[in-house]
Amino acid sequence: MASKEPFMQRHHFLLRRLHSFTGVFPIGVFLIVHLTTNASIVWGRLGVATEKSHGGVATFQHEVEFIHSLPALLLIEIFGLWLPIAFHSILGVYYATTGKSNIKHYRYQDNWRYTMQRISGYIGVLFIFYHVATLRWGWTWLPFASGFNFREASSTTAIALRGGSEEIGFGAVVIGLFYLVGVLMLVFHFANGLWTAAITWGVTITEQAQRRWGYVCAGLGFGLAGLALAALVGFVTLDIDEAREYERARIIELESAAAPDQQAGQLENALARH
Amino acid sequence: MVSPASHNGSNNGSGAPARSRTVRFRIQRCEGPAKPSRWEEFDVPVEAGAGANVISCLQLIAANPVTVDGKRTTPVVWDSGCLEEVCGSCTMVINGRVRQSCSCLIDNDAPNDGDVVTLQPMSKFPVVRDLWVDRARMFDSLRKIKAWVPIDGLHDQGAGPRERPKTQQTRYVHSTCMSCGCCLEACPQYKLEEDPDDWDTAFIGAAAIGQVRLFNKHETGAELAGERLDALMGPGGVTDCGNAQNCVKVCPKEIPLTEAIADMGRAVALHGLKKFFRGK
Repeated sequence: MASKEPFMQRHHFLLRRLHSFTGVFPIGVFLIVHLTTNASIVWGRLGVATEKSHGGVATFQHEVEFIHSLPALLLIEIFGLWLPIAFHSILGVYYATTGKSNIKHYRYQDNWRYTMQRISGYIGVLFIFYHVATLRWGWTWLPFASGFNFREASSTTAIALRGGSEEIGFGAVVIGLFYLVGVLMLVFHFANGLWTAAITWGVTITEQAQRRWGYVCAGLGFGLAGLALAALVGFVTLDIDEAREYERARIIELESAAAPDQQAGQLENALARH
Repeated sequence: MVSPASHNGSNNGSGAPARSRTVRFRIQRCEGPAKPSRWEEFDVPVEAGAGANVISCLQLIAANPVTVDGKRTTPVVWDSGCLEEVCGSCTMVINGRVRQSCSCLIDNDAPNDGDVVTLQPMSKFPVVRDLWVDRARMFDSLRKIKAWVPIDGLHDQGAGPRERPKTQQTRYVHSTCMSCGCCLEACPQYKLEEDPDDWDTAFIGAAAIGQVRLFNKHETGAELAGERLDALMGPGGVTDCGNAQNCVKVCPKEIPLTEAIADMGRAVALHGLKKFFRGK
């Protein structure tokens, strides 16, 4: 009889709890790491940049190179990020459709959070898809899209955030706002999700415990939002020519270290990509 | 946070309610199950300090069912029992918010001449007629989670286990649940299910989850703890809660429903883990 139940009902508990778990690990943890890395680009404007960090460009490049040096990166991405995100998104949208917001009659703060958690989820899914499709999969045929090259991490990111242009024009406004809204929605979704996950798993039971954990989650949320805003401002105001200068020097440095005799030919290839 | 009582009227800073005044009742009416609904309005004279509540006004309307247009209509039907907010049967949606109509005092909620009180049946249960709904699903939910202490048998079972005062304190407030349905009406995850076949998989709601806490924390009631948690782990169980936390705010008995939900979330997590490693 049990086997006649639909899949979703038979594994109801496991799926629900996996949905909750994947939101925190790996997705939430990755969000923290990702936003922290991105924020290094703003160092130059905060005065914390050193000679070696080139206004954050070198630090960001260093972080990106570290990520690209990881063994079996594609497998890490597929099983550590894309599949968990797809799982969390698909189930999340399905679960969200089982509820019906009644914020009109019950205007409590918690009820707003409930509604916002679902709205931020929907927007977040669209944002992550565009973000990964353009910058990771290179789907540059999407509107205002340009690709990402990990050897020129800062300059290509800055161009992508300006809607595929080096100038700050219409595309920059559209994509800049899209990133602003998308990232803030995801930060809210994570902070609020971390708060409700503690209820789901029964970590915070009493009202007092829930309130205390709420302060922690709100603090984390504002902190992450600050990092996200810093990164956005940093990339949108980045001096692309200066960033390229560092990136080209870095390419030469790497290739001369790898094969000193072929240096000239490879350097030409690298520069020809521009 | 919005104070629930200050929704539509409450003393507008003008102090005491107007002495002799007319309050308009806007009532959503329905002839019977699956019939279309319509609105009718009635003017009811109210004396300040006389303790008028929604029920007493409905009684006046029943005595003279004439709408504001002068049209004679049928008396409005409603359900009520104790008239002191302990039976839950007169629960309805008043000015957009679910509560008991017996404890909705007109002097508080419609203090001025011409104030409007809107009455609707709860939307999460099938309407029997007018403001009267069928809450059978709530009692089916209590059956699903075995909301009783198993002491069947005619033989002497001896003294029961000792109840600890601290646990008893936690349990007491849950025992005041009167299955009125406020928590379910205000819940964005709880939906109207007309077909009893769907009751088993649709979200069970806060009331029943609170009852699992009540009975699982009872020393003898805990005999069925595993079975209750099994019911809460399945489709429609505690996992379907969306943490909007409206339930705890509309509960007239101030039952800590969100604490019960978190507590049961912990219980099913441990129960699920144990089951996984122990097997069936």
